[in-house]
Amino acid sequence: MTSVGVDVGGTFTDIAAVHDDGTVRIAKVLTTPHDRSVGVLQSLEAAQVDAASIARFVHGTTVVTNLLLERAGTRVVLLATAGFTDLLWLRRQERASLYDLTRHHPAPLVSVGDVIAVRERVAPRWRDGEQALAAPDGLEVLQPLDDAEVARVVEAARASGANAFAIVLLHGYAFEAHEQRLAAALQAALPDATIATSHEVLPEIREYERTATTVAEAYARPAVKRYMRSLSDALAARGAPAPRVMTSAGGTLPVAEAERHAASLALSGPAGGVTAAAALCRALGIPDALTIDIGGTSADAGLVVGGEPLIERGGEVDGVPIALPRVLVETVAAGGGSLGRVDSGGALHAGPESAGAEPGPACYGRGGNRATVTDAHVALGHIEAGTWGGSVHIDASLAEATIGTLAQQLGRSVQDTARALIATADANMARALRRISVERGRDPRDLVLVAFGGGGPLHACGLADLLGMRRIYVPPFAGVLSALGLALAPDRREAMASVMLRSDLVDDDALARRRAELLHALVTPHEDAVDRAWVRTRYLGQGHELDVPFERDDDVHALVERFAALHHDLFGYALDRAVEFVSLRVVSEGAWWPLRTARRPRAQAMVFSGTDDGDAFDVRLRGPCTVRLPDATLRVADGWQARALESGGWWLEREVAA
Amino acid sequence: MTSSSPAPRVTPDDAFDPLALTVFGQAVTMIAEEMGTRLERAAVSPNIRERRDASCAVFDAEGRMVAQAAHIPVHLGAMPESVAVVRARAAEPGDLFLLNDPAHGGSHLPDLTMVEVIAHPHDATRVIGYVAVRAHHADVGGMSPGSMPFAATELVQEGLIIPPVRLERGGVTQSDVLDLVLANVRTPAERLGDLRAQRAACAAGRQGWQELFTRHGDAWCASAIDALFDYTERRARAHLHALDGVTGHCADQLEGDGVTNAPIAVVAGVRVHEGALLVDLTGSSGAVAGNVNAPAAVARAAALFAVRVLLDRDDVPVNEGLARVVHVHVPDDCVANARRPSAVAAGNVELSQRLTDVILQALGEGLAAAGRTAVALPAQGQGTMNNVTIGAPGWTFYETLGGGQGASGRADGPSAVHVGMSNTRNTPVESLEWAFPMRVVEYAVRHGSGGPGAFTGGDGIVRRYQPLVPVVLTLLTERRAVAPRGAFGGESGQPGRNRHGEQALPAKGRWHVPPLDIVNIETPGGGGYGVPFTDTPRTGTVSERDA
Repeated sequence: MTSVGVDVGGTFTDIAAVHDDGTVRIAKVLTTPHDRSVGVLQSLEAAQVDAASIARFVHGTTVVTNLLLERAGTRVVLLATAGFTDLLWLRRQERASLYDLTRHHPAPLVSVGDVIAVRERVAPRWRDGEQALAAPDGLEVLQPLDDAEVARVVEAARASGANAFAIVLLHGYAFEAHEQRLAAALQAALPDATIATSHEVLPEIREYERTATTVAEAYARPAVKRYMRSLSDALAARGAPAPRVMTSAGGTLPVAEAERHAASLALSGPAGGVTAAAALCRALGIPDALTIDIGGTSADAGLVVGGEPLIERGGEVDGVPIALPRVLVETVAAGGGSLGRVDSGGALHAGPESAGAEPGPACYGRGGNRATVTDAHVALGHIEAGTWGGSVHIDASLAEATIGTLAQQLGRSVQDTARALIATADANMARALRRISVERGRDPRDLVLVAFGGGGPLHACGLADLLGMRRIYVPPFAGVLSALGLALAPDRREAMASVMLRSDLVDDDALARRRAELLHALVTPHEDAVDRAWVRTRYLGQGHELDVPFERDDDVHALVERFAALHHDLFGYALDRAVEFVSLRVVSEGAWWPLRTARRPRAQAMVFSGTDDGDAFDVRLRGPCTVRLPDATLRVADGWQARALESGGWWLEREVAA
Repeated sequence: MTSSSPAPRVTPDDAFDPLALTVFGQAVTMIAEEMGTRLERAAVSPNIRERRDASCAVFDAEGRMVAQAAHIPVHLGAMPESVAVVRARAAEPGDLFLLNDPAHGGSHLPDLTMVEVIAHPHDATRVIGYVAVRAHHADVGGMSPGSMPFAATELVQEGLIIPPVRLERGGVTQSDVLDLVLANVRTPAERLGDLRAQRAACAAGRQGWQELFTRHGDAWCASAIDALFDYTERRARAHLHALDGVTGHCADQLEGDGVTNAPIAVVAGVRVHEGALLVDLTGSSGAVAGNVNAPAAVARAAALFAVRVLLDRDDVPVNEGLARVVHVHVPDDCVANARRPSAVAAGNVELSQRLTDVILQALGEGLAAAGRTAVALPAQGQGTMNNVTIGAPGWTFYETLGGGQGASGRADGPSAVHVGMSNTRNTPVESLEWAFPMRVVEYAVRHGSGGPGAFTGGDGIVRRYQPLVPVVLTLLTERRAVAPRGAFGGESGQPGRNRHGEQALPAKGRWHVPPLDIVNIETPGGGGYGVPFTDTPRTGTVSERDA
């Protein structure tokens, strides 16, 4: 049986098919923008996968991301508590640019005028204590939602002519009744309408982020449904099983559920790569790593902690916050297509403008006439001229000509200019890698750099040197690692619930009960599924929360202790102060698809030709040199040693300075 | 393989290659950013941790700023003065200074600035640079909690005054000084936590700077620093040279100093000359009795901000090179040149906004007179931070509110944002209602408050608070009487309004508010830009609307 991962990107559709004998087949075909499922089917053919042998088909899609970027979703009418109907426009009151005072934030997904005020109000209950008001221990209804108001709001919703609605009431994360009532009445009046409620989509305090995320859910749901159904039908026609989809948090969902979790797909694009990197690191016994996935227009930096991708909240797509759990990735505008330019002060820059997929780097000979980072690599001989992957032809003279133009502007040689352009791109990416690790209390020098994507293995040594990192892992299938991550990722169902309890006011059972209830509500994906839970916790009065692992037998005291220890570990101190349990997240996770990559056994010693076609084992190299990988190029810089790993891929170590 | 002839490297390995300029710029920015990260992670108070009212900077051995991580513009380029006063005190490697005295490198008293003197990695007697961390502390003593007292008339009322003193000498802690500081503040445990965070941020900066010297050597670093400054200056001058000859003048006012409601003149003349911006505050009021005075560093920050806005979408770095193209003249007796014993708490937050307004408006009019309309300077924005403090025994809640940005010749003004010298985030209503015995009755865009024009000014914000216990309300606001001006025929934005129930409140003051009463703050709208169209209905393209 086979697990298939298909990653549909802007330019290429990548496939990785992991058979249960441990073999992996990969392929890359062009994405078919008019109907992406065409490219998906073509990729199956390219990888010679028999549809009937597919046990599991996991799909990575940027359909929601693109929908948000293009503002191409469905019209959404927002139902919000009266007095708070402008939250999407108020945002968090920061301006769009510190110095460009004319710049606006990207427009919200809801049009001005498409908000209906709902007369109801719920608030934390402050009770009279002995001296003053005692801290709140729950919510109270200040203004009930009465029948007449429900009828009025439903009528207004019907009159709007819209067919998708987001219901977000103040404190609705913990008080569900009003949102539920409105949703039920609205669904009864408009049976075909899409309705998203905030207590289901993101049951967590902070009204702006919850509103924006719930609106995004309603905005994307119809398109996701259409896309998933067309893909399912196309696969079914070939005898393949219904697909699963990777979420932003790196787990996979069956399509039927993905349709109801559209917002959780918004940041799934880069999650597959980090997920695969984590799985491969685990197999090698590497607990903590920084990952860098370098593509044509951008680079994604990620973090693996304890053998798992680091998951956090707080992503954003084009000005729309999506505050759901997601695999942490920081994207920088630096990649192979980044354009070199000289500014008015004579300094060389790489990007942020990119040659993109069309025309691409000058050396592709498709009309690009400006120097890119890829051209610099070609000019220096890091990338060999010739035909790559059957579709890309690289012409070194074109690369040299365009780097030469840049060199003239700088009054320098082609070689110096090419080296400087690469170093400039490296500096940009290194800053992102450093930020993502240092902000989480990790010193890059203690971590392994996992470099993948078409450009990762080319830049790995330069980045490691800038960050003081001494170990690099270039995984097998570096060019299609996201697809591999999809094939390996476990089935996972998640749920969240608001808690809002103070540690000094809560009894031990209350939390445990919530945990059990939430887990019970999840449909368990497999018998061997593992349950896990985290309670999002903060010191009272602070807005900085940590996800504290919550074991089945934990009492409040144990959680408070664990929070303090975690806080001390990450921030260097703990406070003598009550803590607040903000929300609960539970996960039920199936098994990872097994991966047994191995190089082919070889009868006799061979002379290494510079190309790693899968039988390069026990090869040791010393930089500077390059290795041609099946789908990328590895550059071993001066001062580095590389060896081919038996499990596939390459391991690089910095030589100790003499 | 490449066929180009292997060119010999133009420069030897140990000399700085100008091709590495961007790489060096990234490296020093990374050091400043990392200091900021360490500070935020280790800080205890929400004001530093979440509102990020703090900034970090790296300086070379001569005290010239190399890089800064500033989250709010009022800190822009404001710390070279702090390093200068430290250098004047026989600073030795390994010394760590603390200061907040506005007359000696400080801004207002809650901003505690820490400066560390960095030793050469291989020669502990040689100074190779400085790092500085400024953070707004929630209390530094004085006559009222929060140390931003209303109607203070002397600096000593506003809190503990700290001239540059050593917390560490040659790397050895001088605990006496710290004990004295902590004995004079209301929340010593939180202060200690925040000071430790500043200490950690300085250490991170020191390590980063030392590593740069270890890796590249002294000569390389020295030429890299000079090259970075020259490059920044070159780029800034290239922009400003194109505006040579532009002159402008603008007079405006603050609405009282908390002691009286008499207007306080704030006046700027500007001139772009030989690729530099000259700002002259002659004509501005002398020092005032209340606390809206500010040290000259705040005026310099406003001028730097204006230059940075002029450079527009270009990402020119902020360092000594940018400071070279900005010259500010502040008269001796001036509200923007605070000397002992003037009180300064509100100057940093409100005078700074008005200075920004007059400098930008003088520039905008000068540019228009010279026919340089391509530079997109907006009409006046809300021009205030709307400081709202609500407290009762045991708790204090402080926040600032956004408002309307002025419209420009490019677009309508953005609504409900912080303008000018601030850019902090709001407090979510749901969080606020859990944390304090208070409700927010309404939080909305103040629709229609932006000034009409060919492009409309941004709208302000409406925020209505309802305390559940008796509280003391302190307001430190501006633009309640005098509206933000429109530009080039655009009309003014609506001035802000403060109300307690139906009763109008002045811009600044302190009141007792009984439970369940409603305090209503409406923040100002931004000014419009260009003559408004009067024909209706109208459908115009952007170019047709371009006044």
